[in-house]
Amino acid sequence: MDPNDPTAQLEEELDSDISSIRREICKLQRRRRFLSSSILSSEALQKSIKPQPSPVSSLLSLNKDISPLVRTAGTHAQSNHHRIAFSVTTFPFKDPSPTIDAESEDLKNLLGVRIDICVRNGRFTKPYYLLLRKARTNEQSQGKVRVKVHRHTIPAFIPVERLGRVFLPDAPQVLGDGDGNAETQTQLKRKPNTPPRKQNLNGFVREVRRQLVAWHTRLDAVYLLREQLGIIRRGVDAYPDEEEDGPWDRDVLVDVDFDSGVGETRLKENKLAIVAISPTALEASYVRVEWVDGRVGRFKISNSGMVERAVVIGDGGRDKILEAVLTGGDGKVLTVLERLKKVAFLRDPE
Amino acid sequence: MPRQKSVRAPTTASLPNNLRIPSTTPSLVKTLGKLPRQSLLDLVFQWLDDRNVKLFPPFLESDEEESPDDEGLRPYPAERSLNDVRNAYQELQFRKGGKREVIDRILDGDWRHGITLRQLAMADLRCLDDHPSSSRWTALELTRIGVPNSQDTPLADISACIPRVHASTFVNRLQEQIAPLVKAHFYLARSTTLPLTFLRIFVTHSPYQNPRQAPETLTNSARVMYVAFPDSCPYIYTSLASTTGSKATSNSAVATDARSLQRIVRDGLPKALSVPHQRYTLKPTSLTAKSLQALLSLRGPGRSNKANGAFSIFADAVLEGSPLDPRPSHTVSPEEHQKQSRLHSQFDPEKENKAIDTDKDADTSTTQPTRPLARTRLKDTEDPRAAKKRKLTVQSRFGISGTPLSSAPLDRLDARLLDPPHPSPGTHHDEDGQGLDETRPTVSLTFTGTDVIAGIRKLAELGIVNPEHMPSWMTGEEAVSVAIVRGGKVVKDSG
Repeated sequence: MDPNDPTAQLEEELDSDISSIRREICKLQRRRRFLSSSILSSEALQKSIKPQPSPVSSLLSLNKDISPLVRTAGTHAQSNHHRIAFSVTTFPFKDPSPTIDAESEDLKNLLGVRIDICVRNGRFTKPYYLLLRKARTNEQSQGKVRVKVHRHTIPAFIPVERLGRVFLPDAPQVLGDGDGNAETQTQLKRKPNTPPRKQNLNGFVREVRRQLVAWHTRLDAVYLLREQLGIIRRGVDAYPDEEEDGPWDRDVLVDVDFDSGVGETRLKENKLAIVAISPTALEASYVRVEWVDGRVGRFKISNSGMVERAVVIGDGGRDKILEAVLTGGDGKVLTVLERLKKVAFLRDPE
Repeated sequence: MPRQKSVRAPTTASLPNNLRIPSTTPSLVKTLGKLPRQSLLDLVFQWLDDRNVKLFPPFLESDEEESPDDEGLRPYPAERSLNDVRNAYQELQFRKGGKREVIDRILDGDWRHGITLRQLAMADLRCLDDHPSSSRWTALELTRIGVPNSQDTPLADISACIPRVHASTFVNRLQEQIAPLVKAHFYLARSTTLPLTFLRIFVTHSPYQNPRQAPETLTNSARVMYVAFPDSCPYIYTSLASTTGSKATSNSAVATDARSLQRIVRDGLPKALSVPHQRYTLKPTSLTAKSLQALLSLRGPGRSNKANGAFSIFADAVLEGSPLDPRPSHTVSPEEHQKQSRLHSQFDPEKENKAIDTDKDADTSTTQPTRPLARTRLKDTEDPRAAKKRKLTVQSRFGISGTPLSSAPLDRLDARLLDPPHPSPGTHHDEDGQGLDETRPTVSLTFTGTDVIAGIRKLAELGIVNPEHMPSWMTGEEAVSVAIVRGGKVVKDSG
């Protein structure tokens, strides 16, 4: 077909128009749904509808009509409030896999733990889940329920299995439940008569959540530092200067679909002469800093947000002053830039 | 021409980056020919990059003056400067043509004095980036030795075994480990598409720095192994098919074939990663797949390591939204949940289509042997209610695995069933059950295809596989490619 043909051109235009209109419709529908459910779950509406004391029969029927919708919205809002307030919530879940006997039928009932974590930009991350199942028990456990981590969605750098071993020890008599039986056997040999250790589910969840929060806080801290220096987004912001060609950093987070990553970003030219600052790996306990003059530094963030160790190496060997600056002061990650600014001013007071 | 040194002494150093393979070696054409034209050109620009070009400078006019062996015979005259070489390839980029033209230009023109091992490694890694499923990968877990499993360890000591690879230190250590047995060339590079670091290891058994072997052996792809280090997780992937347990190496004292050399290297890996008071060992994880993406989602840094099959709804958080979302979660489709958190990144329709295509492939490849497909389809039309119920069951059993939403295509799934074919309702599946019936047959099943789990899901949707009674390993819940099943559950390899 001739691309210069006016009808073809017109057709193309119409096509693009149609698709853009469709997209708009989609967007508006989504918005409507969002708003309607917001209204349904809003406090005012819930309050005014809940008592249902209306004596008028016509209103009663109306109430009946909308009540399932309102009710689900109400319960949803309530559980959301719980999630926001307590961060850790539980729910029951049934493993759908088929079973052979009644005992494993009972084991199919799982206890789900949902962990919601609020991050810097006022959003919540995707929820993390822990699914716990009952460990096979015997008479000696005296009716106490012991649990075991069955499935979870915690990233691999948080050692859920090992934490589970510490906080949720197996009852020593449990044998042959498929995995980990060798360990319990050796345990049995070593301490034949000690009573089974108590499980500490609260402590376990608290520790997992603590590590998750620490990780997100570390990431937030690094991204805050980047934003303080100023960032350019590839594709989103226009190129300020074609000539300068610094390294683009791929956001580590994009690879695993978390919320804050938006493609490749780069630092703006700044007074501190830092060209790159980014976590070295997903777990973000190490941060790499690069300066214009080729100096490269690396520091470790502790779980409490302090700079634990720092190394800076330039062409002339290690830069001990900068290292001292990075770890010095109050030692917090968030104030690293201020400390650097101070020392930059001292070195080059222009 | 490789420079011949007058003295050849065995050393323990690794093969040098700048060891040149004569450009007349025919297998070089094959190696470079694996890349499409655009990738070849990209590769050449990478070679000519300021940081790299010193390691393998192109042949220039000044070199010609030094060794005037054949003037005017070459089809490509030597360029005067580096920029001229760059321009020549820029020109090739703008012109259309075959890749052969580029290869000729490389081998007969600018690198007529030989391709270095490093260049070859770069070409291979480029190839790996272009075709991520060109080799089979085995996931191994890195665990610490000598850490007591007791409950008395203080909390601070509990951390996942994440190797912190400092590239050059690690390669040096690995070299130390394997030097007495293997001569190797190492090349570390970051993957451009996946969160991985690749280590390419080329092994040979000559102890000499400049091996006097046929140049073909230097390009032999059977002597190359890859190790991939995913970010932030206690796993590594090797391109070597796993022979579970690393003790099987000592069958012969002088094992010089490529396979055993590679095994030596693999045994050296955990030792090279270890540091004092922190020794590591590699444990098999019964997962082998062609797709690196599958390995990354089943043994990677993300959420889906321990939540697959029915539990994949949790891993990808398609079940519920953020607590700030006012919409009741069952009214929101899984796709929307997932998209919400992805926002801007990587949602191009092309990729989606591709995923659907592979889905279809898997379907046909796995359903081909089953004839009654058409019949069951007819049954579907008879009872829409049953079909709907089945669809719901399939959804609850598989979660989102086997759909385009998940990205863990297993190309092969081996299962060995230790259960009797027809379990009577009273039988107990105890360990002692083995003794009672010696002649009990075991059934081994092998599924192959582009995406096995998606195929099984399709079978379940069509009603060929009963989704309610299907054991959980068929839904991919265990995230393994080799499974030994007893009592409907996957047991560890010991069985």
